[in-house]
Amino acid sequence: MVVLLSAWACAGSPAADDSLRRIKEAGVLRWGADVQGGAPYIYEDPDHPEKLRGFEVDLAEALASELGVKAEFVQNDWSALVPSLERGTFDIAMNGLEVTPARTGVVLFTRPYYVFASRLMARRDDPSVVADLDSLKGKRVGTLTNSYTADQLLAKGIEPVYYEGTDEPYQDLVAGRIDAVFHDDIIAGIYGEPRPQLRVVGDFADGFYSIATPKTDHSLRDAVDAALEKIIQSGKLEEILRKENIWNDRQIGLIAWSDADQRRLLGEPVVSTLRWSHMIAFVQAAGVTLVLSILAMAIAIPLGLGLAVCRLYGNAVVSRVAEAYVELYRGTPVLLQLYVLYYGLADVIKLDAFTAAIIGLGMNYAAYEAEVYRAGIQAVPKGQMEAALSLGMSTPLALRRVVLPQGFRLALPSVTNDFIALLKDSSLVSVITVVELTKRMTITAVDVRSWAIPGLMCALLYFVMSYPLSLFARRLEARLARS
Amino acid sequence: MIEVHALCKAYGPRKILNDISLSFAAGQVVSLIGPSGGGKSTLLRCLNGLESFDGGSIEIGGQKLVPGGAKVNARALAAVRQKVGMVFQQWNLFAHRTALGNIIEAPIHVKGLSVAEASERAHRLLKQVGLGHRADAYPHEMSGGEQQRVAIARALAMEPAALLLDEPTSALDPERVGEVLDVLTALARGGLTMLVVTHEMRFAREVSDRVLVLHGGTVIEDGPPAEVLERPQNERTRAFLGLDRGPR
Ligand SMILES: Nc1ncnc2c1ncn2[C@@H]1O[C@H](COP(=O)(O)OP(=O)(O)OP(=O)(O)O)[C@@H](O)[C@H]1O
Ligand SMILES: [Mg+2]
Repeated sequence: MVVLLSAWACAGSPAADDSLRRIKEAGVLRWGADVQGGAPYIYEDPDHPEKLRGFEVDLAEALASELGVKAEFVQNDWSALVPSLERGTFDIAMNGLEVTPARTGVVLFTRPYYVFASRLMARRDDPSVVADLDSLKGKRVGTLTNSYTADQLLAKGIEPVYYEGTDEPYQDLVAGRIDAVFHDDIIAGIYGEPRPQLRVVGDFADGFYSIATPKTDHSLRDAVDAALEKIIQSGKLEEILRKENIWNDRQIGLIAWSDADQRRLLGEPVVSTLRWSHMIAFVQAAGVTLVLSILAMAIAIPLGLGLAVCRLYGNAVVSRVAEAYVELYRGTPVLLQLYVLYYGLADVIKLDAFTAAIIGLGMNYAAYEAEVYRAGIQAVPKGQMEAALSLGMSTPLALRRVVLPQGFRLALPSVTNDFIALLKDSSLVSVITVVELTKRMTITAVDVRSWAIPGLMCALLYFVMSYPLSLFARRLEARLARS
Repeated sequence: MIEVHALCKAYGPRKILNDISLSFAAGQVVSLIGPSGGGKSTLLRCLNGLESFDGGSIEIGGQKLVPGGAKVNARALAAVRQKVGMVFQQWNLFAHRTALGNIIEAPIHVKGLSVAEASERAHRLLKQVGLGHRADAYPHEMSGGEQQRVAIARALAMEPAALLLDEPTSALDPERVGEVLDVLTALARGGLTMLVVTHEMRFAREVSDRVLVLHGGTVIEDGPPAEVLERPQNERTRAFLGLDRGPR
């Protein structure tokens, strides 16, 4: 197994460095970034949604034309930019990628093209957040998963609340779901500062955005470096940055960037390794997944049963409403439902992330359970209801005592299978900041630059949770078949 | 105790019950016979409201059922169903309950008996139908004859004034028919009012006080068994009973 994995890992990286030649021959420079990161980095033109804008889009064009090729954008989830770069999904990664010791261990960085500050923001009416990272201990601080700012918080022993988008943390800060947001100043300037309820608490250590190439592609890195040098010296970079209103005095340092500066920036690469603490965090996250799934199912089962009964036995209106519920929830992505419930309805009901996750998944699964129960109830022979009625039971009593228990039994294997599916679907709640097993795996994998071991760990934990259930479902099925 | 007045029932354009008027006295044991499709089951199902009807009325122990189905008759139905028990051809025991569980269900939840009272009654009835030892068996663990006897005990547990039975022995293996008929015979002797749809001519002849022949939705014969079965007036009855085929 280990041999296989390492063989597979080796196969992913090209043996000799022909990277620059390859790109020139292909005539395109593929650059990876995440449109979800939004303005000013890369975003869809509001007037022409098919057209991309942003200072990194302009910079990619400029670099490509310096190299005599065309730029080709490749969409990639931000937190997975480095692993995707390593496996060759694109040639360079350029998307507010901060130079961190962990990253310098696994990729090659060019000279920086932007200097940012890590900016701490809080609510105006909350004076308890002060310009000192240590004061944040015990507070809920939002930031982007696997970002430089997240690393800074972790270094102070603060476990951040992880977001996947740039706007959401500020939205939650206003809503009071978190106490502060620690993020790059560019992002703070666009998404945080315009909100009148928020204030800037302070700026911390300068950080640098650089372009990353795979570890082996020295010729490419050097060529991009040289192209960047030209773009900076010609004033083109300033022009690009000014276009997005993000030019400031910090950027002047980029013009006279020396080799010594670059060496200092890269420092000693740190290769983070898998530690025991990671394993413990995995098991804890598996606990979150399990509890979340059980509680969501505890909503889905009774709600689904109610919906099924309404659909089968309710009057025309009730039955239609139940049907509409089922179709609506089955017909739209659960991810969307979670977004609407957590962010969309924040003005109406302010649920905390975990509660929203439980309710969101529970309401979604109720639609599936309703259909399973409906089939189960319909599979109960008609004679059972008639026998109950003939004994003087009312229809509701006959349902409760005779039909539903049997229908539920018939449905139980499917319900168990649904629960197994729910265990896995629960990973979607990471979009509303709940750190469950899959999210923990992603964070760790990016942190230690290895997907194999964390991936296997994660898979093993899911298996340990779902296999007994799967056996249970099979036994139930066998018992039903016998009676 | 049961009065049927001008009962009419149709499925779409097809008339199933055609202007039926009948009257059953308390304590009477009536066999309902006739060719397949004659409307026997339909009549029985109308009598306890499992089926709605289109015209006429049914009066049972002072409660009147009228056309319009369960909605119109809700209150009367609740009373009627406690007065007349029903036994089905396919038993219809509650599959998720034991023999005992089947019997105590309605007494507890409809009549409000305590579990102890209901269980005591159930054990007595199980003994009465010869199944004292099968109280804890589930339906799928019992033979058809045993299940049907539990079904009879279940109906009796509600202390009905009358019992409606729709071909109680038709789905049984031949060697199991006897045990169910024995139970029914004992009940008949005990004075229970019964309306039995049956193909068991011996039962009709020896146990019942009265035989009805239903054909094409009308009662074509009604009288004591000796008369109806030996000297039927209607030629269709003669055909049905096979009396025209000459001496046997
Ligand atoms: N739900 C229904 N829809 C339409 N027609 C029906 C329905 N139920 C019964 N019928 C018809 O009504 C007629 C009488 O049926 P019923 O079951 O009362 O006859 P039966 O005398 O009990 O016959 P058998 O001896 O075969 O049980 C039959 O022709 C049958 O096809
Ligand atoms: Mg019939």
